[in-house]
Amino acid sequence: MSEKSEKFIVPIGPQHPALKEPGHFEFTVDGEVVTGASVRLGYAHRGIEKATESRNWTQNMYLLERICGICSHIHALAYCLGVEKLAGVSAPPRAQAIRSVVAELERIHSHLMWLGVAAHEAGFETLFMYSWRDRETLMDVLEALTGNRVNYSANLIGGVKFDINADQRDTILRALEFLEERTAHYMDIVTTDVVFLRRTRGIGTTSAAQAELLGLVGPTARASGVARDVRIDAPYAAYADFPVTLILHNVGDLESRFIVRINELLESYRLIRQILDHMPEGELTARVPRRIKEGETISRVEAPRGELFYFIKSNGSDTPERIKVRTPTMCNMASVPVLGIGQQLADIPMILAGIDPCFSCNDRAAVIHQGDDGDTWTWERLRQYGIDYYRGQP
Amino acid sequence: MRELFAILFFPGGLFLLAGGMMYEWADHKLIARLQNRVGPRWFQPLADTVKLLAKEEVIPSGISTFLFIALPIAALAGALTSALYVPLGGLAPTYSFHGDLIVALYMLSLLTLCTGLAGSNTTDSFSLVGATRTLTQLFSYEAPFLVALLGPALAAGSWQISEVNTYAQSHWLLFLQPIGFIVALIGLLGKLEMPPFDSPEAETEIVAGAMTEYSGRGLALFHLGRKVELMVGLTLVASFYLGGLGNPIEFVVKTLALLLGLSVLQSLMARLRIDQIVGLWWRYGALLVLAQWLVLMLIGGFTS
Repeated sequence: MSEKSEKFIVPIGPQHPALKEPGHFEFTVDGEVVTGASVRLGYAHRGIEKATESRNWTQNMYLLERICGICSHIHALAYCLGVEKLAGVSAPPRAQAIRSVVAELERIHSHLMWLGVAAHEAGFETLFMYSWRDRETLMDVLEALTGNRVNYSANLIGGVKFDINADQRDTILRALEFLEERTAHYMDIVTTDVVFLRRTRGIGTTSAAQAELLGLVGPTARASGVARDVRIDAPYAAYADFPVTLILHNVGDLESRFIVRINELLESYRLIRQILDHMPEGELTARVPRRIKEGETISRVEAPRGELFYFIKSNGSDTPERIKVRTPTMCNMASVPVLGIGQQLADIPMILAGIDPCFSCNDRAAVIHQGDDGDTWTWERLRQYGIDYYRGQP
Repeated sequence: MRELFAILFFPGGLFLLAGGMMYEWADHKLIARLQNRVGPRWFQPLADTVKLLAKEEVIPSGISTFLFIALPIAALAGALTSALYVPLGGLAPTYSFHGDLIVALYMLSLLTLCTGLAGSNTTDSFSLVGATRTLTQLFSYEAPFLVALLGPALAAGSWQISEVNTYAQSHWLLFLQPIGFIVALIGLLGKLEMPPFDSPEAETEIVAGAMTEYSGRGLALFHLGRKVELMVGLTLVASFYLGGLGNPIEFVVKTLALLLGLSVLQSLMARLRIDQIVGLWWRYGALLVLAQWLVLMLIGGFTS
């Protein structure tokens, strides 16, 4: 028997109770200790980037919003900000403020959901149930505000679709009051519960240097002490007028990822209150031409999971020439096989959940090589492959 | 005739299975309410069992078919047999002899042992990891749990369950041997593989652990064994530590009180890793219960 086949491999995925979306991880274990790890993605590639090229600028907003079910608003926002930059218009201040409010509400719902999922991976079902119950408060707010629980569809190119009236403002503030109290309680749990701390403290520790090397983004990077937040580094929407406080923690283990995300919740509550108290008056939309001027641009925003990057190229018609999306999970995923090695098998789901993965958002076409005959594709070959593929003759 | 009735209907057989299902439902319902959920309806465990029994049993290739079929039967038989020696329903045990405490406890362990063997009898990595964890956990809680139950036996001066039960009715050992009670309670959680000791079947890590390859009838039998074990374990700990079980009302009240304690513990904690479980039992559980045992022996030695 060769050495290779003697290895004991625990496969996680594509279908596995720990994964809510398809991905494949192979962990080589020695007893309970993980000695090797590999990731294979691409099970949920949907070809959205290509699909944008056959839709007009407005239709694409709805399509791109559906890249992610959790951070739908932020995708549409990144796209709208990019297109507005190309068109040379900017949304009125009140629209920008409403965009920021919805973005922060979305961050709250995403982080509360993550808290529950991470607790579930650690077998702490009670925290899972309670945090998801409280998240419902926020889902109701989003529904009252936008009419939808998931794809809020708040944006228009050049503005937003709805205003926030006094009633809705009160609804939001009441919900935030309740959530703030609950969040403080959760902070207390994740930092003092002895059993839970045994599963989070000192597990999957990422140093700041390692985080830089792996290119981590978002709360995952901030938990390792890397000061990186697009809302602060390159303010967009209303973040220039309503500055965000950077949340940092420099231990880098799972516990600090909990602390950073819960502190971000508290920061979001503060920010929403501040924006609602000083809401600029004025129009909700600006006029945007149907055809967008020729040119290309990038648009960066801070999604709940980290930096979301859009590249948009226009050829002057009513459809985009090319749209390229890079979601934060793409940047963070590389940390899982690296951090997993040397850890206990039982901690792997926690380490995976620690980056708050969102598989189908980051999935792209994957070419699988059996064995070691990996080769490098040139740009020309890749381009030709793409052209042939879409003509239906790969 | 009397024996046949005892084995098939009461206290063995049907009564035990029905009782096990009710206790499991009570456990699920209590946890659900503690977690702010609605929880299952009262016939859910029965419905689950009937559904599983009606389903096709898939026997994987490349394994011992005999063991695959025999292990669930042995597991359930062990759990059912152990019930004959405990004061179920607050009545006197069906069978009783000196040292039946040890027999009952090892009959209960048979279930865990069979689970471990069933997991080892596959080529599936989840099952193998689950089996290793099941057996590792068995070796960590078994000795402290046994010693915790021997505490009351030592105080009563007999290793016969019915005599310990009679002795306990005049001595609330919960207050006389608090450490033993806590170890027995947590040992019961470990024995039943309930959170935080559910690492052997941690679904987010190894799907269903040793049970991953089981479906249909085999899985139903293992689950039935677990239900029976829950009822027997509760009876045993309640009769030893909660002032004995003299009549059916005492039985229901005391076992349900104990179950409430178990449910609270289950919903309070996150899952422990297997290395943490072993550390917890041998570093704290075993030492504490041994210390208490030593004290009991000394007191016994001085007073006699």
